[in-house]
Amino acid sequence: MATHNGGPIVTFDNVSKHYGSLKAVDGLSLELRAGETVAILGPNGAGKSTSLDMLLALRKPTSGRIKAFGSDPYHAVKSGRVGAMLQSGGLMPEVTVRELVTLVSGFHPRPVPPETVMKRAGISEIAEQRVDRLSGGQTQRVRFALAIAGESELIVLDEPTTAMDVESRQLFWANMKAEVAEGRTVLFATHYLEEADHAADRILVINRGRLLADGTPDEIKQRAGARRLSFRLEQVDEPFLLQLPGLVNLEIRGDLVYIQAADSDAALYAVLDAGYRPREIEVTSLGLEQAFLAITSQDNEANGGPASASSATMSKESI
Amino acid sequence: MNGTLALAMAEIRRLRRNRRYLILTIGFPVLLYLIVGKSDTTAYGVAFKAFYMVSMATFGALSGAFNNNTIRISQERKEGWIRQLRLTPLPANAYVGAKLIASMVTSVPAIVIVFLLGHFYGGVDMQAWKWIVIGVAIWFGTFIFAALAVAIGYRISPDSVQPVSMIIFFAFSIFGGLWFPLSGGLQGFAKFTPTYQVAKISTDVLGTGNFQAVNVIGLVAWLAIFLGLAVLAVRSTAETM
Repeated sequence: MATHNGGPIVTFDNVSKHYGSLKAVDGLSLELRAGETVAILGPNGAGKSTSLDMLLALRKPTSGRIKAFGSDPYHAVKSGRVGAMLQSGGLMPEVTVRELVTLVSGFHPRPVPPETVMKRAGISEIAEQRVDRLSGGQTQRVRFALAIAGESELIVLDEPTTAMDVESRQLFWANMKAEVAEGRTVLFATHYLEEADHAADRILVINRGRLLADGTPDEIKQRAGARRLSFRLEQVDEPFLLQLPGLVNLEIRGDLVYIQAADSDAALYAVLDAGYRPREIEVTSLGLEQAFLAITSQDNEANGGPASASSATMSKESI
Repeated sequence: MNGTLALAMAEIRRLRRNRRYLILTIGFPVLLYLIVGKSDTTAYGVAFKAFYMVSMATFGALSGAFNNNTIRISQERKEGWIRQLRLTPLPANAYVGAKLIASMVTSVPAIVIVFLLGHFYGGVDMQAWKWIVIGVAIWFGTFIFAALAVAIGYRISPDSVQPVSMIIFFAFSIFGGLWFPLSGGLQGFAKFTPTYQVAKISTDVLGTGNFQAVNVIGLVAWLAIFLGLAVLAVRSTAETM
């Protein structure tokens, strides 16, 4: 890790992946630095899994370049510097948990002792059970154990807590924090917004295969207009409202006006300075979820995409 | 290579625990030999008890390497175990390598047990080198079918892989003359199958004590073809794992 001196350990340079006419990933550029915990946040079909697959050498980019630890993804994975847990990763049946963890840890140039791996993943009690006779949650923990079976510098997780109950989810992130404390870098994909907010110190918002926002959870909220201003106003002047400073989203229903802006105070002052006297002024704070919806729906509207469809998916899944 | 061997060891451990596999590769041939092996007729001009010993050893070893691998590989591909392995430092070809090694190792007891049965129960007796040549011919046949199994396992979904591999295997067994000696027009066609090459080398050794180079070349050619198909299957499915 010391060899990177704060430079990026992973670089996506204008990476695209097309399946026929479908652009799953469309000109994605990003960098990961050592020690970060980064969330890739986006609705289903945003290109999260495809991006991770390419980083893990499971798929090849149609164009663009990915570098990890100074080499191509395949050699980065084979050198043991990257550990990963994917949604679709299966396990070898007919062996015990201990046998499987021992086997996979043995593949690593810098293996972690199997007992330590099982303790960290919380599977010591089921070590003697057969892999094909585990519950869904237990299987997920075994897959996590395989991801941390070597001294990898980067851990990649694709929706790691899907199918976990609240308690296992908390336990999972507690374990994860212990891994990060050892200086590892973590990249995980999620469509749980609170998860990105709590677990990550940096969020990459992805929609339609493109990077829409990159920043701390606070910056993302800011960027999307994390506060919403609403008021009633007779004879609404839409062209004027559209020119408000830092406007992110404007909605007008009769005499009711909803404004999302980077700085809601400044937006309100501008309305007042223009001589308007709106009634029933309210300023409400938005969570990361609405911030995220605002960012992706702007993107979808700007590109003629199904704004409502992806918003609906998001809100359904995040509640 | 160490990782590949470790994976092969794990595969062998799994197979030892798999009752279905043991019944198919050892139990079934042994049972059939006990039932019909002692007949005093001849086949291909050699004693039936010797022919049938070779036939059952070939059947057990080949079906173990073939049917077991097609089903396992197809399932493990669908369930994502192959994908999981690709995320480890294990080289990309290690999974297939380990499957082939495990098949080669586990086919040895399948062959040896039927040979022992043929010798002590059937009374088959011959010089040591003949046992070895026949054993190696069958063992090489196992390799060929393990390679074909990789090609099929990577291509065909778990839902249909069982009937497909059964049909292919039965066709090769019957047309190769493994179950009963073929005659007439069928034999002309059968001469090209890999199973026939194994049976021909074995019965030649049993009968005249000589075997023909053309059959050895045939075996090597089939191995090359099936390995080629396996490589193509693995490559072309790399992005859809």
